[in-house]
Amino acid sequence: MTPKERIEKLFKKEPIDTMPVFSGQGMVTIQAIKKMGIRFPQVHTSAEYLADSARITAEMFGFDAVIIPYDMCTIPEALGRGVSLYDKSEDILYPTVPYKWEKLEEVTIPDDFLKRGRMPMVDEAFRILKAKQDGKYAIGAWVLGPFTMAGQVIELDLLLKGVKKDRERVLAFLDKMTDVVIKAAQHYQALGADYVSIRDMGTGTDLLSPRMWKDLIQPNLVKIFAALKSPTVNHICGSTNLIIEMMNECGADALSVDHKNDMVESRKKVGNDVLIFGDFEAYSTLVQMETSQVEGVIKTCIDKGADAVWPGCDIWPDAKKESLEAYVATIRKYGKQPSPAVGRI
Amino acid sequence: MDDARREEILKKLSDAVVEYDEDVAKEWSQVALDEGVDAFDAIMNGLAAGMEIVGDLYDKQEYFVPELLMCADALYAGMNILRPHIKADGMKKKGQVVIGTVQGDVHDIGKNIIKLMFDVGGFTVHDLGRDVPLENFVSEQLRTDSEIVAMSAMMTTTMMGMRKVIDMIKEKNPNVAIMLGGAPVTKDVADLFGADGYAESAGNAVQEAIKMISRLREMHKK
Repeated sequence: MTPKERIEKLFKKEPIDTMPVFSGQGMVTIQAIKKMGIRFPQVHTSAEYLADSARITAEMFGFDAVIIPYDMCTIPEALGRGVSLYDKSEDILYPTVPYKWEKLEEVTIPDDFLKRGRMPMVDEAFRILKAKQDGKYAIGAWVLGPFTMAGQVIELDLLLKGVKKDRERVLAFLDKMTDVVIKAAQHYQALGADYVSIRDMGTGTDLLSPRMWKDLIQPNLVKIFAALKSPTVNHICGSTNLIIEMMNECGADALSVDHKNDMVESRKKVGNDVLIFGDFEAYSTLVQMETSQVEGVIKTCIDKGADAVWPGCDIWPDAKKESLEAYVATIRKYGKQPSPAVGRI
Repeated sequence: MDDARREEILKKLSDAVVEYDEDVAKEWSQVALDEGVDAFDAIMNGLAAGMEIVGDLYDKQEYFVPELLMCADALYAGMNILRPHIKADGMKKKGQVVIGTVQGDVHDIGKNIIKLMFDVGGFTVHDLGRDVPLENFVSEQLRTDSEIVAMSAMMTTTMMGMRKVIDMIKEKNPNVAIMLGGAPVTKDVADLFGADGYAESAGNAVQEAIKMISRLREMHKK
């Protein structure tokens, strides 16, 4: 079974040989970047570097998928909000959005945003991945969910307060963001993405109440997943136990949560037939912990009922090589057993 | 003024914060001044007392971050009217703090809430804003001789920068207290980086801020 077949079958809940190693977040590593002889900021501006760093990372560590792009600014930049690339920095800094809209009435979405900024570069990276990896790996893509995307292009406190104080206009703005998300995700699917994760990560109950989630977030996610073809993933990080059932009602093929979610409780709520991915804390596990501790963390995710062990966020590029290897080896070792929603051959 | 009227005014200020009503907070702050309530008393036992109730509501999951932000706005609305009238001996400057979010991070909700704590507490706040180059924290601390440097990073991806700042500041002045905040910052990270305090989220930040405000209020009562 090839990595791509393994992931395709997983999403269809058909028996597989072993649990795939993949995620819906960035998985690029500094080891791959060094091997290419480039610096971290360069992967965000070159289609070849973007595609090759994803592919080389997968080859080095034995991942089952490649996933691009890495930074959250490609779409905000295409909407005219600019990008800070920190290309002189020696540190690992992901790009950020420098110019947010200060008022809701300023928001205008260019019809051709898919052709602006670095979007054509990302398109080319998908084409390169398709051409170079020869169908071996699944190709993943992700798009921020509407609320989180909104927080990238407008002041977050304006948005959060506006939810209470300026409800109608905030709803109209989130409608616009929803359309942006749908267009971008459909575009990635047309370019050949084998799965798409929608990351509305700023909407956990650390920030919003469950009632607000049902009112503001769920309807837009329902609209998005209805507009996309399978397979799709609904990813939210932070506290999600209070909203996991509502997440499940949104229509995605799988749910992805982070370490703040009690997966045993989530399983009880949504049942064994739902694909749940999660839920280890990528930074503490792969950067801070001793490598000898990694197996325990990853095995616990499997024991708690993950159908695929996903990090809750991007894998920090400077993760230890040995810890990344232990993460993959543990999934291979314990992933031969069936998971709640997916059997084994 | 009799105690009953003072209590009534303080309650109105507290309620305005809890109900995130900026207009009412402004109105009753002015009433407090007009009727001779001590401005510091009005801030600490009116507005800040309301923020303590807000903290409880957040703990009980009745309030979430949107409510916290609006409550903070109401608190500032009142405080902006009251603060110029604080008597010199009522609220001595407690010290100075340099605050900002580190380079690579443009999210500043947690930072702004912690800033509120320092404002209420009577600190002089040097707010560097967000996406701040690391060396600016160091130079601003040296320029102002601030006792505290507070840094926030919402994302794991920017957290590492904080360690560099701590090392640079501690090298020049080991007595500076360092506070870290942000979603990826755990106690382990704070310890590892050599920080003196931490808060892991905007919500956690407000809880920490409210605890500090409570302590300030208790100290003031003594």
